[in-house]
Amino acid sequence: MRRAVTRYDAVVIGGGHNGLVCAAYLARAGRKVLVLERRERVGGAAMTEEVFPGFRFSVFSYVVSLLRPEIIRDLELPRHGLHILPLESTLTPLENGDYLAQWNDHDQNRRELARHSLRDAEAYDEFGRVLHHMARAIKPMLAMAPPDPTSLHPGELASLLQLRRYFKDLGAERFHALHKLLTMSVADYLDEWFETEALKATKSASGIIGTLLGPRSPGTAYVLLHHYMGELDGVFRAWGFAKGGNGSVSAAIAAAASAHGAEIRTSTAVSNVLIKNGKARGVVLESGEEIEGEVVVSGADPRRTFLSLVGEKHLPSELVESIRRFRFRGSSAKVNLALGELPNFTCLPGRGPHLRGAVSISPSVEYLERAYDDAKYGEISRRPYMDIVIPSMIDPSMAPPGKHVMSIFVQYAPYHLNGGWTDAKREALGDAVVDTLSQYAPNLKGAILHRQVVTPADIERIVGLSEGNIFQGELTLQQMFFLRPAPAWSKYRTPVAGLFQCGSGTHPGGGVMGASGRNAAFAILGAGA
Amino acid sequence: MSSRAIVIGGGVNSLVAAHMLSRSHEVILCEGDSPEDGLGWVPPQIARALRLEGLKIEAPDPWAVAPLPGGGRLELWRDVARSAESIRRVSPPDAQKWPQFCTRMARLARFLEKAYLEPPPDPLGVRFALRARLLGRQGLVDLMRLLPMSVAELLDDWFENDTLKGLLGAAGVMHLQQGPRSGGTAFRFLHHHVGSPPGIFRPPRSNLHALLAKRSGVEAREGKITSLLVHEGRIRGAVEDGKEIEASLVLSGAHPRRTLLELADPAWLDPELVRGLRHLRDRGVAARVALHLDRAPGFTTLVHAPSLDYLERAYDDSKYGRISQRPYIEAYCDAQHLVEAQVQYVPPGTDTRALADVVAATLSEQLGDAVIESVEVTPSCQPHQVELALDQALWMRPLPQLAHYRTPIAGLWLCGAAMHPGGAIAGAAGYNCARAALANRP
Repeated sequence: MRRAVTRYDAVVIGGGHNGLVCAAYLARAGRKVLVLERRERVGGAAMTEEVFPGFRFSVFSYVVSLLRPEIIRDLELPRHGLHILPLESTLTPLENGDYLAQWNDHDQNRRELARHSLRDAEAYDEFGRVLHHMARAIKPMLAMAPPDPTSLHPGELASLLQLRRYFKDLGAERFHALHKLLTMSVADYLDEWFETEALKATKSASGIIGTLLGPRSPGTAYVLLHHYMGELDGVFRAWGFAKGGNGSVSAAIAAAASAHGAEIRTSTAVSNVLIKNGKARGVVLESGEEIEGEVVVSGADPRRTFLSLVGEKHLPSELVESIRRFRFRGSSAKVNLALGELPNFTCLPGRGPHLRGAVSISPSVEYLERAYDDAKYGEISRRPYMDIVIPSMIDPSMAPPGKHVMSIFVQYAPYHLNGGWTDAKREALGDAVVDTLSQYAPNLKGAILHRQVVTPADIERIVGLSEGNIFQGELTLQQMFFLRPAPAWSKYRTPVAGLFQCGSGTHPGGGVMGASGRNAAFAILGAGA
Repeated sequence: MSSRAIVIGGGVNSLVAAHMLSRSHEVILCEGDSPEDGLGWVPPQIARALRLEGLKIEAPDPWAVAPLPGGGRLELWRDVARSAESIRRVSPPDAQKWPQFCTRMARLARFLEKAYLEPPPDPLGVRFALRARLLGRQGLVDLMRLLPMSVAELLDDWFENDTLKGLLGAAGVMHLQQGPRSGGTAFRFLHHHVGSPPGIFRPPRSNLHALLAKRSGVEAREGKITSLLVHEGRIRGAVEDGKEIEASLVLSGAHPRRTLLELADPAWLDPELVRGLRHLRDRGVAARVALHLDRAPGFTTLVHAPSLDYLERAYDDSKYGRISQRPYIEAYCDAQHLVEAQVQYVPPGTDTRALADVVAATLSEQLGDAVIESVEVTPSCQPHQVELALDQALWMRPLPQLAHYRTPIAGLWLCGAAMHPGGAIAGAAGYNCARAALANRP
């Protein structure tokens, strides 16, 4: 007689994009894989939802750029419905009524920069070249399981030596340039290149995303580079927007996984990892059901994985201490607007091509720094940094005809808000965003049909990301590479045999990149599971 | 070839370099009249190399005193157990962690200490890797985590008491245009611990500068160097007030930018190097204020940095070019009721009156009934010459091309605090530079 219990080669906890990528690679290698997702649909923070009738939103993450090209290739994502539409430009409205636009078209971009500063227009190409080289230098490390520098294991020593060789081959000049990028503040770094405030601010904004640090804090320059990786692999304007919203990224990966035979169960919450004799044997669902698996892979963040799904008693105290110290400090929020008409920017009126790109509210570095000042003492930025896209301009299926959806990424909205997050505070954040934006586009208030505000507390509650951190843990130097999420446990393994991690809380980190999921799958396959 | 050497600059680094060279060279020391606060650990290697006699190192005990909110003081002593006793009165859990914190920090400081008395390590070198390994697993992990961290994160990991964290955190931002929540400030905290026994997180003071300034064997001149003489890429001497002095070796303790772009002809240099020199960050943030009081105040030594948030807010003002309304102050009072205060953050060019008012208001409780009779202000300058931050430290200090003290001009070397290991380690840059220059002799 057949037993009712099916035994899987791998049980993946969490159907976020990394969990799905990991499952797809495992299934592709012939493993019997089950993905368990707590919510009613897969995608985690990469999902599309019809929040208001007729208006569809990428509720959390909203652009694609960092998704690794090898994943798109290996999993044949375009065949499974992934279609990325480019974002053409970034518009930065200024407080004096002027604007700075950055275009994908090289000549157009240069002419626009020269309008502000001839020097900056000249420096821009060289800057792009240097960052491009740096991004290329970092790139091989994205696909690497970071070696443990404290280990004396011959295999680890060999990969350390290999890493050293790699850095030596980079040459002193690039090694030092990399050192600078890793240790400088994004504002100081850009000061060495440019003089136009709006340009420095808009560029430095990508250095502060997902962290509770200001643009003048050392360590932020690296995040700039992290975001520059999006411009690699021959696709210059790789900052794009997925047709159908970011949920279609997840849907495409899920479809690829299913096509390879992976099973996906939604509305199935995992209560804990089943551990017997120090080895992971499967998972226990909240319903009480047990599912057996040869290996268990957690796509949840490190705090959730170790302190909640596994439990302290199965872990060495040193790891527990490291995970407790791992910093999340979510600082980003989303405001999603359903609009009756397009916003009309005073600086560039009408329906121009700029509405097909991003709009960045970052008039100066000081503006960003002041936004951070509010947040570091536990308040919402009175005048926040915003990154805005209007997806319905690129993909009309996102809104009813003639109407639009606007996605606003907001920083800073600290998770640890004085007095905690309440409905009133959530609305206050929405008001700060709308009021600030209305100064640049006065018709906005009248155009709003519906408003959805997503705070870090909401992100934690809905998606399960601890403290609402969009990267599953801050991307700062002390939480990167062999320290992500904890020393000695950065290679996707855990002290529990058969339990692996695949979330962006592992190397190389977040941003709808998928690299963690892919690297984890290779670590699992390499371990012979 | 002449065996004459010129050393420019009068800081402790130049003095050490001059006396290191004086055994094999006729040494002329120019511009040797710069003031010096005597701050910094004196490495025993330097004392030995110069056969120093009469070196006095101040060892205040307690080494730090901070007023507690609601009266009383937190005193940190040279004895770890005694400090723990003192901390226990404000926080028993912090007191319990104190000895372990001191041990772990001391281990990391010793690692830096070794790296500080030789040219900067090669980060990809085997020697550096082996030495890092000797720290052991825990030590290596601590080091990798700690260097890029903010001092606020480091202290939040360990302690809960605001007064304690403020007092310790101040060591992470001293003379730095950053707040305690900025990355890299934990490294500064460690830098100020180097050379001190476990549990002391302030560099000591010594009479090294005064001792060397009095010492014979070096010809000191008053004039100002206006340019360097270079012939076919080799140094030939320097011009002092229009008069040429020939020398085959010049060690400059002046700022690298002045040395290479003003004294030498920038045309000698690679444009990348010139660009790097122009971009060196060297903002001065701490002014010295001397207050003459009519009677003794309620303290002899005082750290006014009540919490990490206090420090951070003091920094906030300076980000926008203003003086801190409530600055971070370290003050000492002598028997003549003269209070010497180091006040941070004070942008260069701050009005003296405004500064004095802010200091008086900030210290009003500690000054009690004492009346300020007069005030002297020394404007902010950067004692490290070039800010000591992770991107301008070790093999990056002041720039990777210059990290080994040599310059593209043969025979011209850099020996100031702008060089590895930076300030607060008395004379180490001068010592390392002189050794490199001597070893290089043809």
